[in-house]
Amino acid sequence: MLTAIAAHFVLAAFLPLIARRWGRAAFVVGALVPAATLVFALSHAGSALAERHPAESFAWAPAIGLEFTTRFDELALLMIVLVSGIGALVLCYYACYAKPGDRAVGRDSSLLVLFAGSMLGLVLADDVISLYIFWELTTVCSFLLVGGDGLTKKLRKSATQALLVTSLGGLAMLLGLILLATAAGTTRISEILANPPGGGVVTAAVLLILLGAFTKSAQVPFHPWLPGAMVAPTPVSAYLHAAAMVKAGVYLVARFAPGFSDLPAWWVPIVVLGLWTMVLGGFRALRQHDLKTLLAYGTISQLGFLMVLVGAGTWIAALADVTLVLAHGLFKSALFLTVGIIDKRTGTRDIRELSGLGARWPPLTVFATLAVLSMAGFPPLLGFVGKEAAIEGLLHGQPKDLLLLAGVVLGSVFTVAYSLRFLVGAFGTRPTVAPTEAPPSGTVMTTIVGIPAVTGLVLAFVPGLVEPLLAGYADAYSANPPDYHLGLWHGFTMPLLLSIAIIVAGYLLHRTALAPRLAGWVPGPLHAQRGYQAGVDGLVALAQSVTGRLQAGSLPIYLGVILVTMVAVPGAGLLSGIETPVDLRAWDSLLQVPLAALVLVAAGTVVLARRRLTAVLLTGVVGYGIGALFIVDGGADLALAQFLVESLTLVVFVFVIRRFPPRFVDDRPYFRRARWVKATLAAVAGTFVAVLAVLFSGSREGMPEASRFYIENAEDATGATNVVNAIIVDFRAFDTIGEIAVLAVAATGAASLILARARRRPPGGYASEEAVAERAEVKQ
Amino acid sequence: MTVNLTMAVVLAGLYAVGFYLLMQRSLMRVILGIVILGHGANLFLQVAGGPPGEPVFAGTALIEAMVDPLPQALALTAIVITFALTTFLLALAYRSWALLGHDEVQDDVEDRRIREAERRREGMDESDEPDAEAAEAVAGFEAPEASEEVPR
Amino acid sequence: MTAEPEQRIEPVPWEEWDRPRDQWLMAEHNCNTWPRSLLLEVCARIVFPTVLMVSVYLLLAGHHDAGGGFSGGLVAGLAFVLRYVAGGSAELAATVRIRPPVVIGSGLSIAVITALVPALSGQPVLSSAIWKLTLPVLGELKITTNLFLDIGVYLLIVGVVIDLLRTVGAGTELGGPGLDDETLEREEVERT
Repeated sequence: MLTAIAAHFVLAAFLPLIARRWGRAAFVVGALVPAATLVFALSHAGSALAERHPAESFAWAPAIGLEFTTRFDELALLMIVLVSGIGALVLCYYACYAKPGDRAVGRDSSLLVLFAGSMLGLVLADDVISLYIFWELTTVCSFLLVGGDGLTKKLRKSATQALLVTSLGGLAMLLGLILLATAAGTTRISEILANPPGGGVVTAAVLLILLGAFTKSAQVPFHPWLPGAMVAPTPVSAYLHAAAMVKAGVYLVARFAPGFSDLPAWWVPIVVLGLWTMVLGGFRALRQHDLKTLLAYGTISQLGFLMVLVGAGTWIAALADVTLVLAHGLFKSALFLTVGIIDKRTGTRDIRELSGLGARWPPLTVFATLAVLSMAGFPPLLGFVGKEAAIEGLLHGQPKDLLLLAGVVLGSVFTVAYSLRFLVGAFGTRPTVAPTEAPPSGTVMTTIVGIPAVTGLVLAFVPGLVEPLLAGYADAYSANPPDYHLGLWHGFTMPLLLSIAIIVAGYLLHRTALAPRLAGWVPGPLHAQRGYQAGVDGLVALAQSVTGRLQAGSLPIYLGVILVTMVAVPGAGLLSGIETPVDLRAWDSLLQVPLAALVLVAAGTVVLARRRLTAVLLTGVVGYGIGALFIVDGGADLALAQFLVESLTLVVFVFVIRRFPPRFVDDRPYFRRARWVKATLAAVAGTFVAVLAVLFSGSREGMPEASRFYIENAEDATGATNVVNAIIVDFRAFDTIGEIAVLAVAATGAASLILARARRRPPGGYASEEAVAERAEVKQ
Repeated sequence: MTVNLTMAVVLAGLYAVGFYLLMQRSLMRVILGIVILGHGANLFLQVAGGPPGEPVFAGTALIEAMVDPLPQALALTAIVITFALTTFLLALAYRSWALLGHDEVQDDVEDRRIREAERRREGMDESDEPDAEAAEAVAGFEAPEASEEVPR
Repeated sequence: MTAEPEQRIEPVPWEEWDRPRDQWLMAEHNCNTWPRSLLLEVCARIVFPTVLMVSVYLLLAGHHDAGGGFSGGLVAGLAFVLRYVAGGSAELAATVRIRPPVVIGSGLSIAVITALVPALSGQPVLSSAIWKLTLPVLGELKITTNLFLDIGVYLLIVGVVIDLLRTVGAGTELGGPGLDDETLEREEVERT
């Protein structure tokens, strides 16, 4: 499985080259790897189903215990069927969809394969860090695919919104995952779920993880990015925004649900937002004229439905959920691809301009009808099977499940209505509109649409093919599962009755003109898009105001801000835990007092000095005073070096200031009391450092272990009795090498700064020098 | 263990002077500030490294009587590095002098622009909402009435 | 200092027999940037070798007494500073024949090679060995490999100081002596 993921990434790297050579065929080449992955996964399905769940591991940062672990279980297999199966189909479809010679081919094929690989990694990952990495990779791929060439403002805006919203959720999720992993003591998801931790931290973690799932799966109030993302090419929408990426949120919830389904912080948000999303999405889909946007709202609605089912947390609901995940992937990708054909052949996706396509393209119409009916929950299709199971699961649960059922029924009525709207709008004949002129729909593309559509039909008749897989996942919810099997016919039961009622109500809703008129109406403040816009605007304004205030461009202000932060943040922490030092004494040696006075007076006078040379000489006095203090401290080497360096520093200072005016240029304070503010700030910061030093030296207890070791081993190990020198040239010689490298660099830098100046002389100067030299030569 | 007040006062003075000089606009003063901060840091290492004692020559005194050699080695390295840094900064000041004719630290132009923009924005907030129209236009794809973008 | 071109034009061998091979003091044609002090120049010349010897002593004594590569190198550097302060860039050029970056580079190379050599025999980088020799007259001599690291440090520091003299010292001494600030500023304005 690791190999499969890696193969995706490798192929993605080469696809731009392949596209340059063979054009659209690159998509077909790109489809090979997902197809092979699908075949491989299906051939190993036995091991996933036999509760063996083979795991592979690759330690990529062993030093900090990070590894990438895959775990091949039922849910992963189901997702691979969607990710790789539909991925391969979409890539083949794109080969026909793209215009010949389209320059985006290399980019899009590469990104799609990269996305397929990331998605594969996401569904296989068994540790939270890899899960997050692949999660964000899909976000980035989505951003790049939606943005396309980024030539229009709309493309950029939609792509940015998709990126901002989903990566905001992704970051929240990362935090949540880390909290969860810390609480559980392991990063392995399977181990976390086997022993789910509890407590307040876990509640917060769960909420954060849900935020990630909701943004990715376009749940209210984060949903507007999904309709916006419809500016992407249709195959991309079909893959990312119907079959695979938006399912990642549902997948995440489904992955963690077995461990947390009893936690109110887990199921309440899922159920509430899921229901809201389901109803709102269906409601809004009713008014759309653009087929693709209609499908996008439909997707939002369906994702809400899937969320509700995971949130319900019972065995049958879970079974229904995974059934519908499969069904939705099949029918929604088929429908998107259908829209792609319509769009490509007729040049429009607007319901009001299309007419008579059903008669023109019979095979495509049949396939699309199959998919639409599956979406609406008509028998005999997989969507119906799933919906039956869903109603069954909600009927026999706790009282809250009945409330959920009511919401789901309402949402389903909308679903039926917008499904019919789609079908009639796309393929129906409109008396007022002239029949749309269109070439044949294309055999290859129609076939590709047919594959998922027909699969939905076949699986409805033989649900036994997939039931072990789906039930295998549901088994995680209950040790002794009820005796329920997927099927088209369970007898005259309540679910069947409800299904019929939903279909009738949906049909009536579709027929009455009431719904479309009402459906666009949402109170202004409730527009989620406005919320997003306000959020982004606010963020930009905040950034500008913070930058404008803190980053005023003046070096003193920067330093002042840094100093204030230094004193305020660590200082506050330090003072809160302060302990009075044990043994406070005025001095260690009487010699320290006059030296200290000398140093302080010299340092104080530096500030007041108006002449450069005075200031430099006073700084030298400070340096010599420090050297003397080192002698008192017992640091002979240190003092020697200090005296020598101080002398050299003085000389270098004098070299430079001989070119400067003797007096300092007067500061022009930007506001009058600047000098006093600076002085106060400096004094506070200086005192803070001194307190720090007192605390450090107060918490010191005798000679540290390392120093003792150095003293004891200096003679034997290095042949030196001067321990300081032994440390420099032997024990810590690596530091010394680094240090002399810094010296070399500094000297070179200084040389280039000063000698570069000579080159700035006007060329006349050089020319005259050369001329002099030439003349001298001529003379000889 | 023991804490030496005199040295603490010296440290406070050196760091305060260093910080103050660092906040000046004359590059030469800034460099002097860095030199003094360097002195302060070296002294800090010694103060934090314990009270005075015998010089560390192995075998000449009891280990307990010696000063800690490690801070000394660190400070020795730091002294030389400070010297290298100072010369580099002096070269920089000289270069600034040669190019601009002064050694003052100038304000960053880009940062100033941001500040100006912020001031303008604050002024506009009071008059009206400039972004209202743009927000309206974006809210458009909540319910797009017209056909979407032509696909590529 | 090389001989004057005029002499090369008309080579009269017997006139050069007793001519010193090197000029011990600069003649007045060397353009110094500040007034010369003969006393200072001569003293600097006399003291110079002694200071260098002291620096070598410090380098070698570093293992047992105060000193070491850093201090030794700084003392040697100060010796060159003395020469420069006394006689200006021409004096410095007379003192140093090698380009300072070469000194820096060789110091760094010696240090790095010393660090890497143990790796050749499979030991960790920077590990040191001690050799003890018994010389006929001097008695026992102890050499440690980390002495070479110290030598590298010494050379590098000397190189850095000479380089600074060349750049910060000689590189900034534009304009003749006695220039006041107004002239300097005018000069700067004209140049930029």
